[in-house]
Amino acid sequence: MTSDSRLEKTVDKILNQTENELLTSLKNSFEESKETLSKSLNSLEQEYDRIIDEGKKESEKIEKKIIGSSDLESRNKQLLLVEESVEKVFDKAIEKISSANRNENYSKLINNLLDESTSALGTTDVIVYTNSKDKGIVEPLLSKFSGSELSSETIDCLGGVQVKSKDGSMTFNNTIDARLERMKPLIRKEIATKFGIGN
Amino acid sequence: MTTQGGVQYSKIAEIKGPLVIVDDVENAAFDELVEVLTSTGEKRLGKVLEVGNGKAVVQVFEGTTGLSISGTSAKFVGKVMEMPLSEEILGRVFDGMGRPKDGLPDPIADKFSDINGEPMNPEQRDYPRDFIQTGVSVIDGMLTLVRGQKLPIFSGSGMSHNILAAQIARQATVVGTKEDFAVVFAAIGVQYSESEYFRRSLEESGALKRSVLFLNLANDPAIERIITPRVALTAAEYLAYDLGMHVLVILTDMTNYAEALREISAAREEVPGRKGYPGYLYTDLSTIYERAGRLKGRKGSVTQMPILSMPNDDITHPIPDLTGYITEGQIVLGRDLFRQGIYPPVNILMSLSRIMKDGIGEGSTRADHQEISNQNYDAYSRSQEVRALAGIVGKAGLTGVDLKYLEYGDDFEKDFLSQDIDENRKIEETLELQWKSVSMLPKNELTKVKDKYIEQYYKEN
Amino acid sequence: MVAKGRIVWVSGPAVKADGMSDAKMYETVSVGEAKLIGEVIRLTGDVAFIQVYESTSGLKPGEPVVGTGNPLSVLLGPGIMGQIYDGIQRPLKELSKKSGSFIGRGITTTPVDMTKKYHFVPTAKVGDDVQPGNVIGTVKETELIDHSIMVPPDHSGGKITKIVSEGDYDLETEIATTEKDGNSTILKMYHKWPVRKPRPYQKRHDPTIPLLTGQRILDTFFPLAKGGTGSIPGAFGTGKTVTLHQIAKWADSQVVVYIGCGERGNEMTEVLVEFPELKDPRSGRPLMERTVLVANTSNMPVAAREASIYTGVTIAEYYRDMGMDVVLVADSTSRWAEALREMSGRLEEMPAEEGYPSYLASRLAEFYERAGRVQVIGSPDRDGSVSLVGAVSPSGGDFTEPVTTHTMRFIKTFWALDAKLAYSRHYPAINWMNSYSGYLSDVAKWWSKNISEDWLNLRGEAYGILQREDTLKEIVRLLGPEALPDEEKIILEVARMIKIGLLQQNSFDEVDTYCSPKKQFKLMKLLVDFYKGAQQALKDGASLADIRAMSVIGTLLKARMEVKDEELDKLDQIDQIMSEQFKSITGVKVTT
Repeated sequence: MTSDSRLEKTVDKILNQTENELLTSLKNSFEESKETLSKSLNSLEQEYDRIIDEGKKESEKIEKKIIGSSDLESRNKQLLLVEESVEKVFDKAIEKISSANRNENYSKLINNLLDESTSALGTTDVIVYTNSKDKGIVEPLLSKFSGSELSSETIDCLGGVQVKSKDGSMTFNNTIDARLERMKPLIRKEIATKFGIGN
Repeated sequence: MTTQGGVQYSKIAEIKGPLVIVDDVENAAFDELVEVLTSTGEKRLGKVLEVGNGKAVVQVFEGTTGLSISGTSAKFVGKVMEMPLSEEILGRVFDGMGRPKDGLPDPIADKFSDINGEPMNPEQRDYPRDFIQTGVSVIDGMLTLVRGQKLPIFSGSGMSHNILAAQIARQATVVGTKEDFAVVFAAIGVQYSESEYFRRSLEESGALKRSVLFLNLANDPAIERIITPRVALTAAEYLAYDLGMHVLVILTDMTNYAEALREISAAREEVPGRKGYPGYLYTDLSTIYERAGRLKGRKGSVTQMPILSMPNDDITHPIPDLTGYITEGQIVLGRDLFRQGIYPPVNILMSLSRIMKDGIGEGSTRADHQEISNQNYDAYSRSQEVRALAGIVGKAGLTGVDLKYLEYGDDFEKDFLSQDIDENRKIEETLELQWKSVSMLPKNELTKVKDKYIEQYYKEN
Repeated sequence: MVAKGRIVWVSGPAVKADGMSDAKMYETVSVGEAKLIGEVIRLTGDVAFIQVYESTSGLKPGEPVVGTGNPLSVLLGPGIMGQIYDGIQRPLKELSKKSGSFIGRGITTTPVDMTKKYHFVPTAKVGDDVQPGNVIGTVKETELIDHSIMVPPDHSGGKITKIVSEGDYDLETEIATTEKDGNSTILKMYHKWPVRKPRPYQKRHDPTIPLLTGQRILDTFFPLAKGGTGSIPGAFGTGKTVTLHQIAKWADSQVVVYIGCGERGNEMTEVLVEFPELKDPRSGRPLMERTVLVANTSNMPVAAREASIYTGVTIAEYYRDMGMDVVLVADSTSRWAEALREMSGRLEEMPAEEGYPSYLASRLAEFYERAGRVQVIGSPDRDGSVSLVGAVSPSGGDFTEPVTTHTMRFIKTFWALDAKLAYSRHYPAINWMNSYSGYLSDVAKWWSKNISEDWLNLRGEAYGILQREDTLKEIVRLLGPEALPDEEKIILEVARMIKIGLLQQNSFDEVDTYCSPKKQFKLMKLLVDFYKGAQQALKDGASLADIRAMSVIGTLLKARMEVKDEELDKLDQIDQIMSEQFKSITGVKVTT
């Protein structure tokens, strides 16, 4: 058994040594982790400060942003409201025009429109288009414009005329729709001023 | 505005590149606005480049893609292109032609202005003198921006020009005043992300409500870019001269503008100047850049900061070259500094602010400003020479003074040039940093500053 | 017959009109309903090609074109001085009264106030025989300008039959009448002269008097003579404009004509703001009293830019004819050449290099040929000069481009600006190796007589140091400065001192902005003496470090800023200190 006991001793010794080593390394790592902890506490504090600092900057940004955009938003809402009322006025005007009496004044207007169109084109050798409602008013007026013809086709518009040279190379749109469209920026301004908005 | 509509001509002789040539035109004027109507009823805008002998050459801003000889017609509107203007344009986003892009209606116009502007009478200009503090040391200290100046940023692809421009737009103030200011931003063929960066930066600083944005992005029609800077400047002039605001205009990227111009010139088969750009590129660019300034008897000002990317970082390329001949200096970004991670990567030696001298000095910044800035230029230039020399002969081959210059160069780049993108330095801090850098050198090296300033500001080590 | 036609074609500044068979080449015409001003530049059949001096926006085919019968001319008479004109002699101040802050179109004004009264002192009397160019009286135009009223060069001469007595008259007053062969002519205080036609003179003199500008690198190293031609080419940012402004401010001429041709608006404003406040160093009067500005900025119509050069030079010749020295500064001739190119392109002419027309060289030659120091026509005998300085803006800073190369053929002084010098803030950024002056030996006599007989030698020595440095720099670039022997290191050192203490000049420094010839000479002598002293000191055993540590170096380098023109004895003191310091490092008295 001697051999056994020697073996046992050796095993003990090894175990003992290992235990010691284990203990030291445990102790070391404990020390180390303690150090690390104290270090990281330091950097944690710095990190914390940094986050707070950035947060402050960020919150300042957000504050500025919110104030800025809420101002803008309310202004933009106002713009949309104005536009809505402008559209309403337009709709009413269009309704009025389309249901207007085709009386003598209207015939004068059409005559002016024809005059303007043919002089812009530089010829009276034209084909005239209009809607079904105004056909009857346009037709008798054409005698003053030699070479002009009324097209059998009708076009979809509130009123007025569209004039085309016979070779088809030039067109002048003088429908009431087109005129309204051209006037729109000016009319919008007038309406807005009446509402006390704008300058 | 006229209630007279224009005649619509439908005899199209030729379509090439961005041009439509209309035949049998009786009544059209040079420069007139044209509405080009497609067969599907789409309306595109253009203008008359040449008219006569029954022909009109029309340049179509939104491009000619999809146009056909038959079915296309051109309406000559009887006026030049105009922009509706009112105070309401502030806080709005428009496209490259000045049409709303934010879902809101057209501005209700207080007035309509020709987007081409008119040349300012030089006799009526008020000379720029007010120092603008941008909070960026290298600019305030060495490339001072002055109200009414045109100072471009020459950059290269991928560099931090937009960050710098946005920082300037956020921070720019005239010290000791509470005057109204506004930012007009025109994106000319840039990517969405770049323009979005700028918009967000304005939003975060709360400046969006004092800003007007015109966006022609990379995927928008190229020829429209001819118009974008012009509508932006028309808006800026209105804000400045009608409403009395101090307006900072940022135009990015002018290289895309010049390319659109080249495209038109090529389509017209004109004799090209350098690199295929038209011979009139200089004159054309001047009609944009010269719209910066101040006017006698009017409160506001238009300050321009155009940004352009130099193809291959080449400053002798026609676009930066001709720009530099018109603008009052240039801020050049350097690839080397950028690679080293320095922000802002301004190459001060190639940069210059021509009217700096009139905006600084006693009563506005400080009496020693010009001289200390000259000294830094001189020293930095010397430090660059020494660096190059050290690269060949090694530090051992350098004299003692040379070594001081090396130290100076490092300090200058690290402490003065570099700063954070949200760091807003006061002019006093900037000047202190300039003195701190030159104080690395022995006193007798300071040949550009008067002795009295050395006594006052030199920092003994 | 006055031509009356109709527009048939418009493209930018170019307009074609038919029905113009009565029009003459270079006749001015009124274009369109807006009555824009234009000039006929080509005639083909009854079609006239017209360059329009105002924006043609909105112009339509069919609108009328009416001839005036006259070529493009300027009005010459009292009232020009101190004005700022556009390219076709419209006073910008008057334009702003009519169209506000921006330049309107179709506005006509007179170049000078025709109703302003001037005090006329007759110098001729009834019965005198007069020839073209004769002075018949004078008026005081500004404190600085005694304006001679002359018989116009295209006048046929004759006997004075009537002349007003001394008194105050406006420009439209008939001040004299002459008679020849039974024809009588009325003379007023002004006449008109076509801009494209040089005004005649009797004979040319050699340019032997330097045009002193107070700029050291110009006067000392690359001088211009009165009546000479010079050119200053440079990439942007190299300081062309600042140098030209310096010449306009400090040149010792009686009159300065400054042409802003296609350049920045604010630069003209700067002149307008600064010149009335700056005093002429000789008379103490505001500089504006001797300056005429012609401003056609880059964004103003391109055709008027082409004309502005001629407008300016004709005004310059007019004052020359009074016997004055005139400097004309044109910034920039490249923009003028570009205007030529643009019109040529619209005319569809065959282009030469870089799209410029083939006649670019001859036009440049014609322009520079209008310089000269001459005996003018008429009596009394008098000499006058026009010196021409043209800036060139070569694209990309490349001196091989057409405008620079052609200009170099017609000028004698070449001030080459250098971007590298500008980048290192060496101002004026004139490269001393690439620049030259053909007047050096001509003006040396003047320096020798008025400043010092040593001038030419010393200049040669100073320049020699710079030349040697240039060669040595190559070696340094390869091997580092330590590879050189001490006596060569001294050359580098002194060359640096010459650059900082002499060549560099700060235009924005109150003292340094202007440097009198005497101060220029003394500074140069100090530096050359320093060089000689240093070489001697080395021989006598001093070390390079001793020399570098001499405190006088700092004083010497700042002397240009710290020593005023009226205290030049301070420079002698520096010389004294220098000798002493050399003595102390070698123990030997150095004679300088």
